[in-house]
Amino acid sequence: MDVGKIIKNLWEGSGYYLFGADNGWKSIVMIIIALFFLYLGIKKKFEPLLLVGIAFGMLLTNLPAGASDKLFHADWWTVQNIDYMDILRHGGLLDILYIGVKTGVYPCLIFMGVGAMTDFGPMLSRPSSLILGAAAQGGIYLVLILAAATGMYTGGEAASISIIAGADGPTAIFLTKELAPQLLPAIAVAAYSYMALIPLLQPPFMKLLTTKKERMTVMTTQRKVSKKEKVIFPILVTIIVALLLPSVAPLLGSLMFGNLLKECGVTERLSDTAQNALMNIVTLFLGISVGATAVGSTFLSEKTIVIIVLGLAGFILATICGLLIGKLLYVISKGKINPLIGSAGVSAVPMAARVSNTVGLQYNKGNYLLMHAMGPNVAGVIGSAVAAGFLLAVFK
Amino acid sequence: MQLDLIAAILNKESKLDVVDALLLALIGIAIVFIVLIALMLIVTLVGKIFDSSDAMKQKHPEWGDKIANFKAKLAFWKKSTPEEEEEVTPVDAPLAKGSCGELTLVNTSDRDAAMIMAIVADETNTPLNELRFKSIKRVDDKNMEEEK
Repeated sequence: MDVGKIIKNLWEGSGYYLFGADNGWKSIVMIIIALFFLYLGIKKKFEPLLLVGIAFGMLLTNLPAGASDKLFHADWWTVQNIDYMDILRHGGLLDILYIGVKTGVYPCLIFMGVGAMTDFGPMLSRPSSLILGAAAQGGIYLVLILAAATGMYTGGEAASISIIAGADGPTAIFLTKELAPQLLPAIAVAAYSYMALIPLLQPPFMKLLTTKKERMTVMTTQRKVSKKEKVIFPILVTIIVALLLPSVAPLLGSLMFGNLLKECGVTERLSDTAQNALMNIVTLFLGISVGATAVGSTFLSEKTIVIIVLGLAGFILATICGLLIGKLLYVISKGKINPLIGSAGVSAVPMAARVSNTVGLQYNKGNYLLMHAMGPNVAGVIGSAVAAGFLLAVFK
Repeated sequence: MQLDLIAAILNKESKLDVVDALLLALIGIAIVFIVLIALMLIVTLVGKIFDSSDAMKQKHPEWGDKIANFKAKLAFWKKSTPEEEEEVTPVDAPLAKGSCGELTLVNTSDRDAAMIMAIVADETNTPLNELRFKSIKRVDDKNMEEEK
């Protein structure tokens, strides 16, 4: 028995050996990124519900050798006509979970849960919040111009990249799977990672673009919103927006259906399921399967790096657009609206609103902006869905 | 909305050029603003209708009584079996496990109270079940401004 040969075979069959093979360095880079994301999620608590799942999915599929092959097959998802039956028969766990991303089922279910958790009351009591929600979508269109300027992307690809600036993961996935499915891994990872990093990305620009006096502005509560208004709102929005932009009806319809379950008062059990059990299950599946798509050999490319950079620019530009209109509203309202809530116009609910609240508290203890920032925040969800509907109508 | 015209101008397979992107960006942001401003106007209108209806009820309380009487009459005619007329006596529910006495709310909604308690728990890093709230009173916004 040749012990040396056995040891050699064992070594060459191990993942450690494969790190030295072609593209092995890419796996190492991705593992380092995954570990960094895990650190941010666990230690820094940056949206751990999302980031821990994404990071662990990324870690699993970047381990060379058999471990990742049994979980996910990145190459199965890049072909034109995906054979779902074959995936169900022979796919790994993450392949099967990824079907929900690829078919656009998870984004709609997530929106249903978000709708069931969202209180549109702050927005209904201060309708001008909708303007802040619209303003922050400026980031999407500025990134569209930037993506075109690189000369690297088709219209569908540029539109899919631009939607990252909406800070709305489900919408980004929904749009990308229609317009540029080949970019889905990079866009999904960028969108969710930046959403998780909002507490890190937004505050410097919030401080840079506002004065101390503006940041200290105390906002008073507006009129009380009746239950009937809250019930009517999701029905009205569904009819108005879905008629105008039918392509976005699945997303917006799910969001508003979830909200109607919450507000109508006769479907508590369904509302509870949508906002807890269903939301948790879909978040779990979405996080780990989106992370799994970031396989180093295909993920670390020039196009991906440009997408990551454009996505970052998009988040910053969306924050700036929201803040600038927030400052305008501060002037128009004669100092009654705190411009910090403008940055919450990006639709990452409720992270962006929480950031507005945190920055506000740093300058005026007792100045709780959370409920005021929720208005633009939920308006941003509607705004990014409208923006996605427009891009789908143009490029599909 | 028919965006076929714009779609026809763009060749989907070729790279998007900056001029087309600029044009699309302008139309796109205009559409977002138009839709959200339309929603804003509708929300404002619906709010005004509800507010004026509440104001009318306060101004003419007798209308409220008349509506209540009408509803009561309707309910009487709808009742078909005598069992439905049985009155249900409210029973005081026992306090929830782990709760600590009762909380008095003065001009504060349940929702606001829940939010305040959550904020206090978060700020003091104390689990909510280890805190005891006796009363939460809403201070009028005007009074707060005067105090400043």
